[in-house]
Amino acid sequence: MKRWGLLALVAALLAYPWLVAGSDSAAFLQDMGALVLLSAVGASAWNILGGYAGQISVGHAVFFGAGAYLPLLLYQHWQLPPLLGVPAGVAASLVIALFVGFPTLRLVGHYFSMATIAVAELVRIVIGNWDFLGAAIGLQGPATSRGWYDVIFRSSVPYYYIFLAVLALILLVTWQMQRSRLGYYLGAIRAGERAARSLGVPVRRYKLYALMLSAAFTSLAGSLYALKTGFIDPDSGLGILVSVQMIITAALGGAGTLFGPLLGAAILVPLQTATNTWLGGSGSGLTYIVYGGVIVLIARFEPGGLIELGQRLAALRQRRRKVVHRAA
Amino acid sequence: MILLQVIVGGLLLGAVYALLSSGLTLIWGMMNFINFAHGEFVMLGMYAALLTVLWIGGGPGIFGFAAALALFFLGILVYFSLIKEVMRGPMLAQILSTFGLSLLLRYAAFWVFSPNVMTLPPTALAGTIDLGGILLTGAQLVAGLVAAVLTLGMHLLLTRSRVGSQLLAVAEDRNAAMLMGIRPDRMQALAWGLSAASAGIAGALWAISFPFSPAVGETFALTAFVVVTLGGFGSVPGAMLAGLIVGLIQALSAYWLGPIYKDVVVYGLFVALLWLRPQGLLGTV
Amino acid sequence: MLLSAEKVTKQFGSFRAVSDADLSVEEGDIIGLIGPNGAGKSTFFNCIAGDALPSSGRILFDGADVTRATPETHARLGIGRTFQVPATFEDMTILDNVMVGAFLRHQHRGEARDRAFEVLKLTGLEQQAQQRARSLGTPGRKRLEIARVLATGPRLMLLDEALAGLTPGEVQRAIELVRRIHEQGITLVIVEHIMEVILTLTRHVLVFNQGHVIASGKPQEVVKDPAVIEAYLGRGHARAVRGPAG
Repeated sequence: MKRWGLLALVAALLAYPWLVAGSDSAAFLQDMGALVLLSAVGASAWNILGGYAGQISVGHAVFFGAGAYLPLLLYQHWQLPPLLGVPAGVAASLVIALFVGFPTLRLVGHYFSMATIAVAELVRIVIGNWDFLGAAIGLQGPATSRGWYDVIFRSSVPYYYIFLAVLALILLVTWQMQRSRLGYYLGAIRAGERAARSLGVPVRRYKLYALMLSAAFTSLAGSLYALKTGFIDPDSGLGILVSVQMIITAALGGAGTLFGPLLGAAILVPLQTATNTWLGGSGSGLTYIVYGGVIVLIARFEPGGLIELGQRLAALRQRRRKVVHRAA
Repeated sequence: MILLQVIVGGLLLGAVYALLSSGLTLIWGMMNFINFAHGEFVMLGMYAALLTVLWIGGGPGIFGFAAALALFFLGILVYFSLIKEVMRGPMLAQILSTFGLSLLLRYAAFWVFSPNVMTLPPTALAGTIDLGGILLTGAQLVAGLVAAVLTLGMHLLLTRSRVGSQLLAVAEDRNAAMLMGIRPDRMQALAWGLSAASAGIAGALWAISFPFSPAVGETFALTAFVVVTLGGFGSVPGAMLAGLIVGLIQALSAYWLGPIYKDVVVYGLFVALLWLRPQGLLGTV
Repeated sequence: MLLSAEKVTKQFGSFRAVSDADLSVEEGDIIGLIGPNGAGKSTFFNCIAGDALPSSGRILFDGADVTRATPETHARLGIGRTFQVPATFEDMTILDNVMVGAFLRHQHRGEARDRAFEVLKLTGLEQQAQQRARSLGTPGRKRLEIARVLATGPRLMLLDEALAGLTPGEVQRAIELVRRIHEQGITLVIVEHIMEVILTLTRHVLVFNQGHVIASGKPQEVVKDPAVIEAYLGRGHARAVRGPAG
């Protein structure tokens, strides 16, 4: 992205809560802003593995769930600040990532994808039946704040800035990765594994790096969700729709691009809120039909998402302008 | 005696799993492609059976055939409208295409048919049969036997018939097959039709005994993944064997550990398989 | 002895693609592998490159046993290879393609970039550094593949029909490039169909037919070997070349 565009984006993101503070639905808009950022965090985390490394996880919810469950677990049973559970969530996610990735990333991509669904579903069923982990009822965080460490705010604005900071962190790390040997090697793996191998790229190891990075950040997204909503259960933490949300958000904006997930979130979160409001309960059923359809359309016509579509249209326009100039 | 009953029941159900998974492994072996919407094909077979019974009436023969037919055409449609193009694209597009399709089909089914759990009207097979102390429903027995026969039939079709050898030729070497006058597109479309049809009829057979809703697709998909991995890449005989094993393990887990664990053990088996022997019983990785 | 292959055999089920093939390569050699299509030379080539696992036999590189080593290990040890059908990273720029190779010996982006530019200069691709690989035609892609492998700093380069499908002019340019590479001290093993290339570049040639090495020696001698002629042209022709005296 060009420098001015980037600066404008950063300024807009920083100023947004303040910009909408004057309107009637300030609280609603600020909350939605926070949700957009949270969605962008999760999708950006998925993007590291799915977009940059080309390994498609359809069970990423398991990392999200680990990050959401552990903080609330610490509170529910020992009244500890949920914040302490955040590193535990990351650690658990890394272990799960290694466990799933180590055997499957040396095989053809489909094995990995199948394994991710199976593990996510396995964990979901186990937790759903394990009372200590909340079973079907789930876990809850502190109802009122005992101090800064409970990270409970009445307004969405502090959450907004925390999420923004984490998003900035993820994007910074992703950008650095993209420019480093890891980034180049992942691009090579995605473009042609056989050729990459012949150039000395340790394919399995680098896929694992991408997986672990992605899992750790996804866990953070889950933790942020738990801190904000103060509640988690097997469906909201580990259900397939959690995975779907991450995938479609990243893919719609542009998997493998830096800002694709944010773009996807900025479109999908308001859209989903709108359909849920207008159509009520039945709306969410329709939402997932549309999600499925959109994913199919993206896969079929524009796997690079909106950003790539935009680039293609811009290139087309440039070429047409050249023709006009030459004719004139 | 109960144990024996559980074992037989598990094997019969396993035969249905085998039929259901043989289509998935066929596509995988032929096109290096995992259809993540395969579970929804099974689910739609159940609803096709239900609609047939509601509109036309008839017994398992009729609605089983209807399910197979409906899904056959759906499979071909999916191939030409989606799969054919997506095969030439990046892995992201390939995996997301059928993943998105599964969502689309599942939630469209929720929308159209409602999330309520349905059952097929009782059939002539409802009665209990006593096989030397083992109690089974007619439905269980017939479903299992028919599934076994159909799976065997698919294997024979692939290995003994002209069409089958053409399918396998395309699987082995697409370009060479083209040079021999075989049309790869047609063969692949046919494979998708067969795959979906076998899933559909397996679903219909299963639905004779069990209630269903649009949500069942997800579980069937995972079961199919386990069976095809255990059976080995592209191997229909492998799927036959693996289906029986998975059915058996599932039944024993439910019996010894409780119904909650029946899926957990199977998924756990899957993960163990990926660690220890990803090529499965009869495949090469 | 830089590379030695001893009695390498590769079987696919009951079909023997390669039978008891031997090869010795000294540092600084340029060796050619020729033979009709399906003769097994590509399979043998893949065995040496680490892309195929020999059914039996041994392959040693600089003393190390690489028979079962992965392609990644091969690259790290200093064996590089190109592909018969160029496998360039289509959506990456030419510079980025080469940088992937450079990263093998240079961990940091700046160093890798410098090395990549060095190689681009050597291979004449410097002007097109920022173009996408997919914008190149086949000769350009083949050149890019060579550049990419060069960036990994190989001691031995395996070229798989790198000059196939080129116009005579392009073939000349490619021969010059191969010579320049050889002058840098890189040992070469070349699979080729174009006799001109074999005769001008290589000093030693192995001829494959039906999985066996049927002739081995200087290129000028090998092309006159009746067994070789027979392999390429069929039984009658060897006699025709020898003359009615037989």
